[in-house]
Amino acid sequence: MTPEPMKGSDMKAPATEAATHRERQGSVTAKLGETAPPAREKRAGSREERRTAYLMLAPMMVLLAIFVIWPLIFAFRQSMYQGNFYKPPVFVGLDFYKYVLTDPGFYQSLKVGAYYAVIVVPGGMLIALLIASFIKTLGSRMASFMKTTVYLPTVVSAVIASVLFKIIYADQGLANWVLSLINVAPKNFLGSPTMVIPAVAVPGIWLGLGITTLIMLAGLLDIPDSYIESAQLDGAGFLKRTWYITLPLLRNVLLYLFVTGIVAAFQEFLLPLLIANGGPVNASTTPNLYIFNQFRAATPYAMTFSITASLLLFIVLGTVSALVFRLIRSEKAVDA
Amino acid sequence: MRRGKGLIALTLAAASAVSLAACGSGSAGGTGTPAASGTPGAVETGCSSATTVTFWQQKFEDYQQAWYKKYVAQFNASQNCVNVVYQVVPGDTWTQKLQAAQAAGTQPDVVTTNYGNIKPGVAQGQFSALDDYLPASAFADIKSNVAPFVTQNGKHWGYPMLVEPSTVLYINTDLAKAAGLDPASPPKTWNDLIDWATKLTSGNVKGITIASVAADLGWSSWGLQYNSCGHFPITDDWSAGRATESCFADLVGLYKTLYQNKLMPQNPKTGYADATPYMNGEVAMMVDGSWALGAIKQTKPDLLPKTVAVPFPTKDGGTGETTATLGGWTLTLDAKSKHPKEAAAFISYLAAGDPNIMADFFKQAGYSKYTTRTSVDQAIATNDPSTKQDANMKTISEDIVAHGIAEPQYPWDISLAMGTAIEAGMKGTASVDAALKTANDSINSTIQKQQLKGTAPQS
Amino acid sequence: MPEMTRSRRTLVVKWVLLVLIAFSLVLPLAWMALSGFKRDSDVLKSPFSLLPEVWQWQNYTAMFHDSPYMTAVGLTMLGALIFTGLSLVVNSMAAYVFARLDFGLKRYFWVFCIMPMFVPGMSILITSFVVVSKLHMLNTLAVLIVPGVAAAGQMFFMRQFFLAMPIAVEDAARIDGCSRWTIFLRIFVPNSTAVFVVVGITSYMAYWNAYVWPILTISNPTLQQIMPVLANFVDDRGPQYGQLMAASTLAALPTIVLLLVFQRYIVAGVRLSGIK
Repeated sequence: MTPEPMKGSDMKAPATEAATHRERQGSVTAKLGETAPPAREKRAGSREERRTAYLMLAPMMVLLAIFVIWPLIFAFRQSMYQGNFYKPPVFVGLDFYKYVLTDPGFYQSLKVGAYYAVIVVPGGMLIALLIASFIKTLGSRMASFMKTTVYLPTVVSAVIASVLFKIIYADQGLANWVLSLINVAPKNFLGSPTMVIPAVAVPGIWLGLGITTLIMLAGLLDIPDSYIESAQLDGAGFLKRTWYITLPLLRNVLLYLFVTGIVAAFQEFLLPLLIANGGPVNASTTPNLYIFNQFRAATPYAMTFSITASLLLFIVLGTVSALVFRLIRSEKAVDA
Repeated sequence: MRRGKGLIALTLAAASAVSLAACGSGSAGGTGTPAASGTPGAVETGCSSATTVTFWQQKFEDYQQAWYKKYVAQFNASQNCVNVVYQVVPGDTWTQKLQAAQAAGTQPDVVTTNYGNIKPGVAQGQFSALDDYLPASAFADIKSNVAPFVTQNGKHWGYPMLVEPSTVLYINTDLAKAAGLDPASPPKTWNDLIDWATKLTSGNVKGITIASVAADLGWSSWGLQYNSCGHFPITDDWSAGRATESCFADLVGLYKTLYQNKLMPQNPKTGYADATPYMNGEVAMMVDGSWALGAIKQTKPDLLPKTVAVPFPTKDGGTGETTATLGGWTLTLDAKSKHPKEAAAFISYLAAGDPNIMADFFKQAGYSKYTTRTSVDQAIATNDPSTKQDANMKTISEDIVAHGIAEPQYPWDISLAMGTAIEAGMKGTASVDAALKTANDSINSTIQKQQLKGTAPQS
Repeated sequence: MPEMTRSRRTLVVKWVLLVLIAFSLVLPLAWMALSGFKRDSDVLKSPFSLLPEVWQWQNYTAMFHDSPYMTAVGLTMLGALIFTGLSLVVNSMAAYVFARLDFGLKRYFWVFCIMPMFVPGMSILITSFVVVSKLHMLNTLAVLIVPGVAAAGQMFFMRQFFLAMPIAVEDAARIDGCSRWTIFLRIFVPNSTAVFVVVGITSYMAYWNAYVWPILTISNPTLQQIMPVLANFVDDRGPQYGQLMAASTLAALPTIVLLLVFQRYIVAGVRLSGIK
């Protein structure tokens, strides 16, 4: 279900990709073409290499097998039984999959999750990119200061951020006070179905900004200065440089941030729970919050239902991510 | 203490014909002193090694944890047969922790269970009946309006500790007087309430605060649903939803008026159960559980004399009607407990034994929760005569608790569907009728999927 | 000189930007720290104010005498550091394999290793508990650390960076007869400090913020972790906001100190300049 990795054989150093990319734009410098490492031919590894591979993979595979796959198989099994450990469980087959898939609430929660992800992931990545680009231009002392500062929101827990943002969005809160300065009538941030998700997304972006920025920064620092310098010599401004050089070179990092961002955003649960309690009328009930709400009842039905719903969420997330991988790969094929 | 100790001995002795050697946790040879008789206070409980009993308490207000800690320690010190290991579990992880433990077979012997979960739990075979372990006198002590909450098939499946009505109206008398309203004659009907809330809303102060999101509305409106319709939105035999009856629309209408006329906070800073906005003077009236009184006593004592607690108004102004369900907690004994006798001895000690122990609990609670045992009432009257003069306590106890009914026993999905309907109606995302129609469909679907028809528990 | 004025102007703009960004990022943290000095009900008071009306120093001082809290902070730090170390070792090795090595089953192994990234915690919460309880891991430090060490997301992240490592260097090393292990340890690890620091921070925070899992698996009070302890100040019937803020602020300090120490490693690696 998850797509295959970009294999060694079709892997190239991003520098080469950037060069190809720029070639198509017709603005490549000869120098860049030369410095890019050559693409590498590779065949299936030798025996020694295979042994090394298995050895290095072993700890990860074993740990995942025990602590993820085993429980996961158990969970699939459990989703086909209804029971509470006091009476013999009743085999229900795939009934609960039907129950979840016929519940409008499940689809509504997926929509909410998607809406939230669509705001938080690109929004967060854009802001992080801007801040990271800014940090890169700073001298080392200012940069040190910023690298620490940008991470500070992350040490604030979601619980506390929720208390703060609830106060900010309150009727006489900070947000409405700012709006009153520009003569906008007070807004009902958490009571309006259209505004609640953007309102919850703000702390979402803010809490995730630190790590996203540091990751972007690590990616940016990986780009040799010479590329940027030669582009500068070509007279490319910040936006042009970012679009034609930085972003293509950051592609591996962006792919990572995008996929993990989507997965995390879909699973966001604490912020909408604590800030809006899933309301108004389920407008902020994300998939995990939907599952959590089902789970509040301590009945055998609720347990099987919530496990089934979260397994279906797993399938949704896996499929979405597989599509993202595929899209990026097909684009790459065009590129190469 | 002395008496408490005697009671354990009594319980242990009465519990079974087997000698107390059982306390020795399998140690051969019966080093324990056999319980020779059931004479209270006469038996010394000597055991070579203590049996470990685990007890999980769902976390609530701080004083509760302090109280449990104190009396668990006292219980452990009072005898050497049973050692209770006590753990506090936060409410938001309770279900997960308990179910995980049940799945792994590491579940605790004793837990705090609310009334709403007793009968579903009995249906699932989750509890052991306490009748086999506690003396009959312990059950005779339970007040007659509470006993049905824990009784099924003629047996007691949990020992009730407290009741607390989940819907009480609190009025800030200073603000009421300033608005020309007389707190001595509080709102009687829903229209009065709207009128009061309108008059009390001025500037940054809202007239009232009440639940406004489905998850809170689901349970806090139970009493109001019952008041409006005389029943919950499901037939008595749980065969069909009845949410589309017009009396439920009336209730949604009340919430809608309060919300749409901006008589209540549009973006509340806290959930229903948290009294902070009222304590900060941001709202003139508050609908909250009786526990709010305890919070005010602890956090803002100067507000206490300026607060009156009254029953939530009834639809038509009738008095002596039900406007609140009685939430509350019991101690239950796990059906799979390996040491039911010892575990029951602890339940007996804490909840059913010396009335002074529970009396202390209510004292710590600032009398914002209500007793379940006649003997505890007597103990409070003796220990703390001043409580008699507390008008708010009297009102809650005589006008609300006395008419309170048990929380509904049906699955939470049904309550949540109703909460969602009320929220949709009040916030205008759907017409009142459409919202209730959706709720009714959802209730019927729950009935079908969970095969509820005919499973309503009878006491 | 125009050159001079221009760079000076740039510097001023940079400073202004820096202060603005820093201010908006730090404000909530400052609010948390200052709210720690407030009385419980004042924390929610309107209109919004940063400074307390009455300074409640005892919210902070009480924490130092709260031994379960102090133990939890220390123990959680210890656990987080061990967790981070193990996590870096396990995930970086796997990341290297997926970025560089080739073997027949790679495709399937990759799916196996990346799939856990999409598994919602909720779906395996109860069954994971059953597993660790079968393994007799309940109430140990190990149960907090080991199950989360192998993290698909972290591995994926490192792999993405390893992919960008120029192959030329590696080829040269291969020709010199270096083994894969040597290449990994001598070339990849030292040239990826920024990546290791970023992954390390994420792992550290993931452990630090764990809430439900420690509550499920730990009943021994001496092994209590920080998030469950902080949860003691929260309940929906009236959290002790002041103490919650104070306790959270103090608990955040060790993390901030670690960050101050390690942020300097998030700089350009030597590898790229070394290649040219």
